[in-house]
Amino acid sequence: MANIAAQRIKREFKEVIKSEEVAKCAIKVELVNDSFTELKGEIAGPPDTPYEGGNFVLEIKVPETYPFNPPKVRFITKIWHPNISSVTGAICLDILKDQWAAAMTLRTVLLSLQALLSAAEPDDPQDAVVAKQYKEQPEMFRQTAKHWTSVYAGGPAKMSDLDDKIRRLTDMGIEEHNARVALSSYNWDLERATEQLFMTVMAKN
Amino acid sequence: MSFLFNLLKGAFLRMLQLIWFGKRKISNSLSIYVKTNTGNTLSIDLDPKWDIRNLKEIVGPQLGISPEDIKIIFAGKELHNSTIIEECDLGQQSILHAIKLPPGKNRLNRKKDTKNLIEESIDEGSEANESGSKPLNETLIDLPLEDSDRHENHSEQEQQQARAHFYVYCSLPCKSVEAGKLRVRCATCGSGAVTVDRDPQCWPDVQQPRRITVHCENHDCQTLLSSLAQKDEGTPQVRYAQFYFKCANHVSLGEKDEAVPLYLIKPNLRNVPCLACTDTRDTVLVFPCEAGHVTCLDCFRDYCVARLRDRQFEFDDNHGYYTLPCPAGCQNSHISEVHHFRLLSPEQYEQYQRFGTEEYVLRAGGLLCPRPDCGMGIIPPDQTDEERSRSPDEDDCRRIQCIGGCGYVFCRRCLQGFHVGECDSQQPTTYSSTSAVSCLSGYAIDPLRASEAKWDEASKKTIQISTKPCPKCRTPTERDGGCMHMVCTRAGCSFQWCWVCQTEWTRDCMGSHWFG
Ligand SMILES: [Zn+2]
Ligand SMILES: [Zn+2]
Ligand SMILES: [Zn+2]
Ligand SMILES: [Zn+2]
Ligand SMILES: [Zn+2]
Ligand SMILES: [Zn+2]
Ligand SMILES: [Zn+2]
Ligand SMILES: [Zn+2]
Repeated sequence: MANIAAQRIKREFKEVIKSEEVAKCAIKVELVNDSFTELKGEIAGPPDTPYEGGNFVLEIKVPETYPFNPPKVRFITKIWHPNISSVTGAICLDILKDQWAAAMTLRTVLLSLQALLSAAEPDDPQDAVVAKQYKEQPEMFRQTAKHWTSVYAGGPAKMSDLDDKIRRLTDMGIEEHNARVALSSYNWDLERATEQLFMTVMAKN
Repeated sequence: MSFLFNLLKGAFLRMLQLIWFGKRKISNSLSIYVKTNTGNTLSIDLDPKWDIRNLKEIVGPQLGISPEDIKIIFAGKELHNSTIIEECDLGQQSILHAIKLPPGKNRLNRKKDTKNLIEESIDEGSEANESGSKPLNETLIDLPLEDSDRHENHSEQEQQQARAHFYVYCSLPCKSVEAGKLRVRCATCGSGAVTVDRDPQCWPDVQQPRRITVHCENHDCQTLLSSLAQKDEGTPQVRYAQFYFKCANHVSLGEKDEAVPLYLIKPNLRNVPCLACTDTRDTVLVFPCEAGHVTCLDCFRDYCVARLRDRQFEFDDNHGYYTLPCPAGCQNSHISEVHHFRLLSPEQYEQYQRFGTEEYVLRAGGLLCPRPDCGMGIIPPDQTDEERSRSPDEDDCRRIQCIGGCGYVFCRRCLQGFHVGECDSQQPTTYSSTSAVSCLSGYAIDPLRASEAKWDEASKKTIQISTKPCPKCRTPTERDGGCMHMVCTRAGCSFQWCWVCQTEWTRDCMGSHWFG
């Protein structure tokens, strides 16, 4: 890794650690290796959102050309959000692409991602299924996102009705996460989710 | 009587000089030329510790002029008697101008500012009415890029700290970025025997004509000016300064020896930390954006290399330069003096020039030879509309030869070897141009790596598997996972496309195969 990238990341790392957001437990970074090429980020779900109470872990890869090119960031924690892939955690935020500027830092990236959790941009969806639900059935979306937060990000909400539906599917031998994805994608319609799951299984065989 | 005395003193000094050089070669002796306004040139060896008075005492007798009747001009300033030679920023083989003052005029001070008067009266009260000033390099302060940022009323101390430092690109013989020296000549006759009426205070003062007037000592200048005025009524009757730069690293090769000023490189007087590495370095590059963002020179190089690797230099549409903007993404921040890219290594600069030429060719409607080691820019002969409509698909129109390059004959459409009939449906692979990123983890092909990759079957295969061309400009794009949303990063293309469909990125793509 280029010296400049490592040096800059070291400083930014310190900057984040000392920031007031860290003091308030809103964001966090940790080193993954000694060479500063990979970091683990963490952001707290913002209050008054379905993500409240959850902790979201991010994978941050620093390219050799940093800070002239953006870091590569994705969600490790599974999340239900129109701008984040529920499958891979990929994010298509403009500042992580063509709107990146060398003056931005790890801290600004983490804060922007936190802001994205507060205000989704459904017109620039990265997960079309989630985006459709977000626009057409906002309450359903909120419930689903809250449910994902509680299951994957340690959120407080327990939603027994949703858990029951998942159990119905796992009892049939479906893997739990697959069951959750199918139900979430079909607005928790057990019948359609089941149908879709078994179609896929059949197609695979 | 005093003349005789001076003659003797001059002879003595010269003898001293001879003994000096004979005994122990003074390592820091300075060989300079003294040019007179009567057409003589003397070659003089100086001790840099001498002052201008000593110089006059040596030059005077050789010219048959009393030393008091001489004024010495260098870099637009008449030098004061008490000025020490080494303060003058003189290099080996520099040219000083010795002007014989008209009789009776030698004690009349022309345009002298009060500050100098005061200094002189303190320094040497006995010679309070002597003319001359400090050399330009001592008085010149760091030049701001804009007229509006002029320095006002600097204290002596501030001036000392803010003293101008210049950096130049020396094309010959150094071929590198070096410290530079500001010099001035008469814009009318080209003579260096001029004194400026004021110091330049900003870059426009130096770069634009007709901003600072000079007094020219060249006898022929008046004749020249009158003849110009006769030809063109609009010719101004005043003379203007023409500033230029010399490389401080090599011995002056005469009056025509110039270097390109790299005016964005500055001493870091305000201790601004580098935008990229956050270090505070002595020498920085200040981008021409409103904020004046600063990077250290190492980071500037890294920035250029990162952008070069992805072919992300841009054409500045206002001027046609192949260049870069401020890395903080500021508006109107393109570097317009492209010699700044000379900070790159010679190989990188060559690559920069090659890419620039290629982009120029592409913009002019041309194409690049697809041979990996060639990449020659080719502008195909113009097809008339009639020809095009008559035979849009005719083989002849698709047949392109790399003239001036490797001679390869290829098909314009598929960029494979020329063939008759339909193109092979397989995607073309070109190595000659590069780049585009998937929004998360695609990356551009490193052109160096690509050109190093030999045209053997193995590398051809691996590259074909992981690259696809931009549907619009055919720039090959590599993808290493992540999403299917590709954005072509070739400057001027920015086409958003889908890795799966290989067409423009659409909502359908997002919905059905955004993640593969
Ligand atoms: Zn030089
Ligand atoms: Zn002149
Ligand atoms: Zn730096
Ligand atoms: Zn800027
Ligand atoms: Zn060729
Ligand atoms: Zn073809
Ligand atoms: Zn393109
Ligand atoms: Zn598609």
